[in-house]
Amino acid sequence: MTILGEFALWISLPVAAWGMILGYAGGRTQRGDLVLSAERSIYAVFGLLLLASAGVSAAFLGDRFEYWYVASYSNANLELFYKVTGLWAGQRGSLLFWALLLGFFASITVFTNRQKNREFMPYVAGVLQSILLFFIVVLLFADVNPFERLDFTPADGQGLNPQLQNYWMTIHPPTLYLGFTSFTIPFAFAIAALLNGRLDARWIQLTRRWILTSWFFLSVGIVFGMRWAYEELGWGGYWFWDPVENASLLPWLTATAFLHSIQIQENRGMLKVWNMSLVLMTFLLTIFATFLTRSGLIESVHSFAQELKIAYIFLSFMGGVLATCVILIVYRLPQLRSENQIESFLSRESAFLFNNLLLLGAAFSVMWGTMFPLISEGVTGQEISVGPPFFEKVNLPIGIVLLALVGIGPVIAWRRATKRNLQRNFATPVIVGLVTAAGLWIGGARHELALVTWSVSAFVLTIIFTEFWKGTRARARIEGEGYALAFFHLVSRNRRRWGGYIVHVGFVMMCIAFAGAAYNTDNRFNVQPGDVVEVTSPFGHTYQLTYEGLSVSIGRGQRNLLWQAIATVSVAQNGDPKGILTTEKRQYTNRNTQPMTEVGIRSILREDLYLILSALNDTNGALNNQPGAQGIDLQVLIKPLVNWIWIGCFMLAIGTVIALWPSVDRRRLPGGEKTSEREAALAGAD
Amino acid sequence: MTLYLGVALVAAAVVLFIIQPVAKGIHASLEREDDEMTDTEARKRVALLALRDVEYDFLAGKLDEEDYRSLKSELTAEALAALEADDAAKSAEGAAPADFDVDLEAEIAAIRQGLRDGAACPDCSYTNEAGSRFCSACGRALGELAAR
Amino acid sequence: MKNNGRFMVGLVGVAAVVTYLIWTGVSETMVYYVTPVELMEKVEADPTFHDVGVKVGGRVVPGSYARVEGELLHVFTVHDLVDESATFRVEYRDALPDTFTDEVEVVLEGRLREDGVFEATTLLTKCGSRYEAAPEDLAGAGAEHPSGY
Repeated sequence: MTILGEFALWISLPVAAWGMILGYAGGRTQRGDLVLSAERSIYAVFGLLLLASAGVSAAFLGDRFEYWYVASYSNANLELFYKVTGLWAGQRGSLLFWALLLGFFASITVFTNRQKNREFMPYVAGVLQSILLFFIVVLLFADVNPFERLDFTPADGQGLNPQLQNYWMTIHPPTLYLGFTSFTIPFAFAIAALLNGRLDARWIQLTRRWILTSWFFLSVGIVFGMRWAYEELGWGGYWFWDPVENASLLPWLTATAFLHSIQIQENRGMLKVWNMSLVLMTFLLTIFATFLTRSGLIESVHSFAQELKIAYIFLSFMGGVLATCVILIVYRLPQLRSENQIESFLSRESAFLFNNLLLLGAAFSVMWGTMFPLISEGVTGQEISVGPPFFEKVNLPIGIVLLALVGIGPVIAWRRATKRNLQRNFATPVIVGLVTAAGLWIGGARHELALVTWSVSAFVLTIIFTEFWKGTRARARIEGEGYALAFFHLVSRNRRRWGGYIVHVGFVMMCIAFAGAAYNTDNRFNVQPGDVVEVTSPFGHTYQLTYEGLSVSIGRGQRNLLWQAIATVSVAQNGDPKGILTTEKRQYTNRNTQPMTEVGIRSILREDLYLILSALNDTNGALNNQPGAQGIDLQVLIKPLVNWIWIGCFMLAIGTVIALWPSVDRRRLPGGEKTSEREAALAGAD
Repeated sequence: MTLYLGVALVAAAVVLFIIQPVAKGIHASLEREDDEMTDTEARKRVALLALRDVEYDFLAGKLDEEDYRSLKSELTAEALAALEADDAAKSAEGAAPADFDVDLEAEIAAIRQGLRDGAACPDCSYTNEAGSRFCSACGRALGELAAR
Repeated sequence: MKNNGRFMVGLVGVAAVVTYLIWTGVSETMVYYVTPVELMEKVEADPTFHDVGVKVGGRVVPGSYARVEGELLHVFTVHDLVDESATFRVEYRDALPDTFTDEVEVVLEGRLREDGVFEATTLLTKCGSRYEAAPEDLAGAGAEHPSGY
């Protein structure tokens, strides 16, 4: 099976090349036979990549350690779950996995459009095939072939790094990859539009759902990574401005900007060149993200590999794509002229444009902060380090202004807002924001940035709540419905708008949570069994923590665990017993490292109580159950509001799903089920 | 041995699959189908949706009357232009002007009627009886007598 | 057009603010990343450099690690990656990362005190290919490894 998979990968190379050439040729010559062959090539490449991926998985499941990739990321004792997901455990398999997902989305696109949008599809197929070809070439020729074999067969594999053996870490890469690869579809349609000359909002309308879907996976994927870092890395943090984290943030920032600016093109026929540039930039950033994490260019705690050949290949590809797209855009400049003007500073167009500029400003600063050390070293020879202080200094102010725009944008009028319009819609929210600021100040909060964030959040939430309220009430009055029904109908009749509002609510929740980090507490204790320590939460209550003791278990190599030392702590809040938390040290057999730490977390809506077993006073003594060797270093963190990150992400996800939901029940329209998509859209559906 | 046979089969199947259209002259459709929305229809749809949004915003109390009137006249002019452009495009193609936006236009017409009769209060959205001069819920003056 | 003019102003304005933030951000938070040899040279050339926060990359000298009893204090010696005779002692008052072992490559942030000891505020371990193994390593895979600290 594995060898079949390897051959399948080789076969996919000429097939992809064939499909690419025929796609462009078919579009140019308008020959249906070429186009059909090109479309079939897409299915074929997907099938072959599926075979190749199955081959890799078979190697994992069969403990085939003669394959370097399997030996590096698995061993005989590894849990089945991690063998199955071993395909994306490391660099090589990840690249194959990426190609597989791209092939999957490409096949869906070609299939659903086999009778539609025929002016676009030949070129779309060509573009998708070009990108697939690139990944296949990388896999086969850049020393990153997952099918590479060793000269010998090791008795056992190295096993998987224990920090990667965590639920979140297993779903985080695939989710992100789903986001990266699905964004290729809008990009392909944009290029197709540049090639076939249909430069109005059509390519945007066609790919709107793809754009939202991609954004959904990007957002959720990034938050999964945050959850993994929070639970598994054991420092209590969820974001470190690490180059790999930044690499995934960059396309998210530009995709968010794009999501908003396309509405301006749809409604007012403006920003056509801007949108073309944004879709190109986002696509390049998704490739850049792969490049950054796979080429060892940035040395970080995250970096996976150090291969230079692959760096050259990626850079050439990105350069080629950039040059081609710029040429195409310049060529089509006359047809990309705006149909309208921005009429006023105070307008929705202006707010959206401002939003875009801020998001791009943030992206630029993140890019700069990540790459500057490299550039500086290249130019001056002096190595410089740029860390979290820089990123926070620049991005926190930008973030706060963006947060304000989240409230302003949806409510300010199109074209030009009059003073009355502003007063009517913003007077109350501004007052609420100021009252919140005053209230927090009186309550003792003094951290300026957090105060501002929370006040602006109150402003935004007031606006969104009022929108829902006014809309529901209007509908209830007009249609004579009860409020609950009115609300449901309100949202379902305009899912894009109201789903968007829900996404915004989620985003605001996350901002509120981020600001809570200003009040994190950190205490360290050295305790013996029976000791009680007390920590105070910023919310005023106290926790009494009783270190009950250490329980040690010596494993027999099952799940690669050599030994575990579990510290048990009883938790009481204001004297009220609340249960038990454990935190542990685990030594794995397959890694020559210090024992890994598993933290203990107790979550309530307001905050997390986060316990870390930093060190055993006497490891050997503890493992031998010597009395008196049970002392530990215990670190106790309190993380106010942190759970609103996950809750907010959930809201964000729900809002996106609502916005994505296909909205019209065609049976209700004249013509019944024969009503086509076009008729439905004309009848006011989204 | 069976392995190489398997590989050969896969390769052959793939090649046949993708070569067949060219070899046998099977064509994918390249025509724009009837079902696709044209540019003029798309513009018409955007214009009508904008009008609908304005009506709802006014009823929800987000726009005051002066803003509403000026926006509405602007958008109505644009919608009319879009409708005419679409009709022109269609008669150029020889097709009869379609009338699919029944739902949307009927809705707008009903709202306009309600407002014209002075029935829906711009402030609190209460639906008054036709011909009322003052809103029964909030007391605002309705219709032509509304003070600015 | 007059309107476009206004918008260019707005665009330039935003770009200017962002640039300003980045500029001051970098200059205020940037940290020199040096080797032990470079650090000691800088300090000799300019004694005020004792107060400058820097980032230093080196390797832990085997056997030099000790944990001070009763305090949250770790001490060890770090040598330059190239010139192994260039060393200094390090004091670190925080929890050690799980990946800290004998002879591990480290990245420290902090300052070199007048007494020649480096006071570290941050400690990161650099495990180059920690997620991947060279083929040679794989030949010995499967053997039991001793437990850590």
